[in-house]
Amino acid sequence: MLTFESVSYRYAGAARASLQDVGLVIGSGEVIGLVGASEAGKTTLCLVAAGLAPRTVRGTLIGRILLDGTDIAPLAIHELAGRVGIAFANPATQLSGVAGTVYEEVAFGPMNLGLSRSEVIDRTEAALSALKIIDLAEREPALLSGGQQQLVAMAGLLALRPAHLVLDEPTAQLDPRGTRLVAEALARLAVDGASILVAEQKTDLLASICDRVVALDAGRVALDGPAGEVLGDPRLADLGVAAPASVRLRRLADAAGPGPEALTQLDGALAMEATA
Amino acid sequence: MDSSRWTRAGIGLAAGAALGIVLYAIGQAWPMAGAVGFIAAHLVYALVTRSQTGEWGPLRLSAGLVAFAVATYVGIIVFGNFGDPNAVDPVTYANTKAANSWALILTVAMVIGVVVTYGLELIQTGRLASLSGQFGTRTYLLMAVGIGVNIILGQTVASALKIPIYLDSIGTILVGVLCGPIAGAITGGLGNILWSYVIPPPFQYQPAAAFAITAVAIGAIAGLLGRAGFLRPRPNRSTGVLLIGGAVTVGLVGGLAWAASLAYTKIFETEISLFPDPAKVDAIFVVLGWLALGLVVFAVVGLFALLLLRRDLTAAYVVVAGVLTGIVAALISAPIAAGVFGGVTASGTDFLVAAFRQAGLDVEAATTGQGLISDPIDKVTTFFTVYLILAALATRFKARFPQGEMVLEEAPS
Amino acid sequence: MLAAVSTALAIGLGGIWGPALLTAVAVLLPAVVAGLAARLVRTALLLTLPIAVSVLVVNLFFYPAGREILFAIGPVRATAEGLAFALETLARIGAISGAITLFYLTTPAGDLVLDLERRGVSPRIAFVVLAAVQTVPALVDRAVAITAAQRARGLDTEGSLRRRLRGVLPLAGPVLLGSITEVEERTMALEARGFTRPGRRTLLWHPPDSGRQAAARWLLVAAIPLMLAARASGWLGWLG
Repeated sequence: MLTFESVSYRYAGAARASLQDVGLVIGSGEVIGLVGASEAGKTTLCLVAAGLAPRTVRGTLIGRILLDGTDIAPLAIHELAGRVGIAFANPATQLSGVAGTVYEEVAFGPMNLGLSRSEVIDRTEAALSALKIIDLAEREPALLSGGQQQLVAMAGLLALRPAHLVLDEPTAQLDPRGTRLVAEALARLAVDGASILVAEQKTDLLASICDRVVALDAGRVALDGPAGEVLGDPRLADLGVAAPASVRLRRLADAAGPGPEALTQLDGALAMEATA
Repeated sequence: MDSSRWTRAGIGLAAGAALGIVLYAIGQAWPMAGAVGFIAAHLVYALVTRSQTGEWGPLRLSAGLVAFAVATYVGIIVFGNFGDPNAVDPVTYANTKAANSWALILTVAMVIGVVVTYGLELIQTGRLASLSGQFGTRTYLLMAVGIGVNIILGQTVASALKIPIYLDSIGTILVGVLCGPIAGAITGGLGNILWSYVIPPPFQYQPAAAFAITAVAIGAIAGLLGRAGFLRPRPNRSTGVLLIGGAVTVGLVGGLAWAASLAYTKIFETEISLFPDPAKVDAIFVVLGWLALGLVVFAVVGLFALLLLRRDLTAAYVVVAGVLTGIVAALISAPIAAGVFGGVTASGTDFLVAAFRQAGLDVEAATTGQGLISDPIDKVTTFFTVYLILAALATRFKARFPQGEMVLEEAPS
Repeated sequence: MLAAVSTALAIGLGGIWGPALLTAVAVLLPAVVAGLAARLVRTALLLTLPIAVSVLVVNLFFYPAGREILFAIGPVRATAEGLAFALETLARIGAISGAITLFYLTTPAGDLVLDLERRGVSPRIAFVVLAAVQTVPALVDRAVAITAAQRARGLDTEGSLRRRLRGVLPLAGPVLLGSITEVEERTMALEARGFTRPGRRTLLWHPPDSGRQAAARWLLVAAIPLMLAARASGWLGWLG
C-alpha cells in the first residue's frame, strides 16, 4: 500500500510548488487513473511516488510517502527500485542503451540488484511472458516500434517485482497500434492483480481499466472517487480533461432528447464533435 | 568570481609572475621559469584562500600540482634530455624512446598528482567527496554521449575534411566542465582508447590511442577551468568592462604566444620568425607567415566584435581557456606524434608538418610547431562550441550536474 | 592483449625487418588460423591507406636529412633517406594497424567489456564503454532521421560543398542537443532500475577462459621487457 500524507513538492529553483497538500492511498491490487491538465502535477506525483523526486530530480518534499506503513524517505533510490517501478512517455529513453537483445534489456534491472543468476533468469522470463513478448526476446531493442519498446520497458520494470507500478502517460508518444498494445498489456496486468497508478490524457483507456480515478488541478487533488463517477463528472472539463467517448456520447444523447428529431440533432452534434 | 576571489587570484598571479621573472633573470630557461611561476601563483592563491575562508580545496589541488611538476621534472632528468638533438637517431630522426618516455613520465606524474590531491582529502576528511561527487548516473551517461560525439566529429574532420584542426574534444571538455576534472579526464582517455581499439571502421581511427594522455590532460584542465567558473555567462557588461576584457585577453594570448615562440626557438635551436627573410627560406614560409598574421588580426577583430555585439564577457574567458588548453595539448602530443608516427597522422595537419620539415626542422620541432598552431585554434573553437551548447541547455538541466552551478549565470546580488 | 603487446613491440623495434617479421608472426599467422586473413588484409589496407600515402609523400619529399636524390618533380626532391624512413615507419604502422584490426575482427566489444567486468572493473565504467560504443551508430541514425525530416521541410542537401556545409549546421544542433538533453530522462529511467546500487552486478554470461589462454597472456607480457633488454644490449642486430 502506497500512501501520500499531506505531500507538497517544489522543484529546486521553482517559484511555486508543483504539488500542494496531496493525500492519496493506493491499495495493493488497485488500479488508479490520474488525470489533469498539462501542468497540473501528474508527472510530479508519479516521480514522487517512485522516489525519483526528490532523489534524482532535486527539490523539496514536505509530508511523507509511506510504503506499507514505513516512510520511504531514508531509502536510497536503488533500494526503491524493487518496490516501486516507474515508466515514462518516451519509450526510447527508457532503454538502457547497453543491451543487445530484449532479453538482456529486461534482465538489466535484476542484474543491477545483484540477484543470483537463476533468479535473474526466472524473473526475466516471467516478465516477458506476463507481457506476452517472449517472441521479441532475441530482437534488438532499438529496432522495435514505439509500442513494443514501451512493452519492453514495462517488462524491465516487472522483472524487478515491484509492489506498485507507476506509469506516466505511457501512450503519449505512441501511434494507435502502440497505444492498443500498451492498453491491452495494462488490462492484463490489472486482471492479474497488480497495483497500478497510471497518468493519462486518454481517458478512454482509463475508463476500461481503472477502479478509481484522481483528478489534479494546479497541484491539488480536485476529485477522487470510483472511475465511473469521476469520469462522468461534468467538472472534468473545467480541469482541462476530456471525458471518455462513452460519457461524451451519453451526454450528447441526453441533450438531444427522445424522439425522431433527436436523431438528426444527434447527427449534427456528433459531426460538430468530430471537428472539435 | 566575487571580488575577494579576484583579490586572492591577483595576489597569487603577482607572486607567481615575480618568481618567474626572478628565475628568468638568474638564467633559468623560459619554460622552467613560466611553469614554476604558475605553480607558485596557484600555491599563493591557495594559501591566501585557506587563511581567508578556511577552504582546503585549492591547497590540496596546489599540492597535487606541485607533486605533478616535481614528478615530471624528476622523470625528465632520469630519462635524459629529450630536446637534445644528440639523443635523436641520426638516420631516422625519430626519437621513439623520447616519445614513449614522455608519455610514460606524464602518465606517472599525473597519477602522482591525482593521488596526492585526493589522498590529502582522504586523510583530512576521511572521504573522497570531491571525487565521488563528480560521478553519478548523469555523469556516466554524459560521458558516453561525450565519447560518442568526440569520435564522430573527430573522425569526420580527420578523414573527410583536410583542415589542420581536430575537433575531437568537444565531448571531453563538455564533460569536464559540467562534471569535474577526473570525469573529463576519463572521458578523454577512455574515448581515445575506444576510438582506436573498439569502435569499428569506418569510425575507427587507429592513431588515437597514442594521444590518450593528451585527451586526459584536456579533460582535467577543462574540469578545473569549469570549476573556476570560466564558462559562466556574463551578459550585459558595460562597454568599458568588455573592452578591458578584450584587451586583457589579447595581451594574455599574445604574451603566451610570444613566450611559446621564444621557448620554441631556444629548445629547438632554430630561428623562426613571422617575417622570414625571403632569400633564406622558401616562399611557402613567407606565405604561411603572412597567413598567420592575417589570422591573428582576424581573430583579434573577431573577439572584440563578439564581445561588443553580444555583450557577454565570457567570450574573452573562452578564448583564454582555449589557448591555454591548446598550448598544453600541443606540448604533450608533439613528442608523441614525432616519435610514434614520424609526424604523420593522416589528418589535415600533415601538410603543416611537411612545411616545417621543408624548412629544415627535425620531426620533433615540426610537430611541436604544427601543434602550437593547430591546437590553440582547435581548442578555442571547441570551447566556443561547448559554450554555445551550454547556452542552449535549460537551466534546470544544467543545475543537476555536479559542476552545473558553475555554468549558470550568477544571481544578481 | 595481443594487440596491445604487438603495438608496444612494434614501437620498440626499429628498422624495417623487425616490424615486418612481427607482422608476419603476431598478426598474419593468427589471422590465417582464424580464417580471417583476407578480411584482415582488406580492412587493414583500407584503414592504413590514407596514413601510408601521407607518410610516403611527406617523408619522400620533405625529409631534411636526405642527401641522395632519387628523382625530382619540379621544386620537390625525393631522397633515398626519406624513402628509407618512410618504409620503416610504414612497416611499423603496418604491424600496429594489423594488430589492431585483428583485435577488432576477433573480439566483439561487448565480450571484452563483460570479461573485464567479471575481473573487477566497475560496472559503471563498463556501462560507459558499452553505451559509448552504442552512441556512435545511434547518433548517426539520429542524424540520418533529422536529415530526412529537414529534407521534407525543404532543406537543400545536395549541391555545392558550401551549401552542404551550411546544411550541416542545422543538423549538428538538434543531433548534439537532442542527445545531451536525453541524458535527463535516461538518468531517471536508469536510477529507477537500480543502476546506482553500489557493488557488482550479476552477469548472465561472460567469455570463457582457459589455462592456456592465461599462460599465453603472461608470455606476451613478458615479451615486452625482454625485447627492450634485447634492443638495449644490441643483441637483435638487423631485426631491431
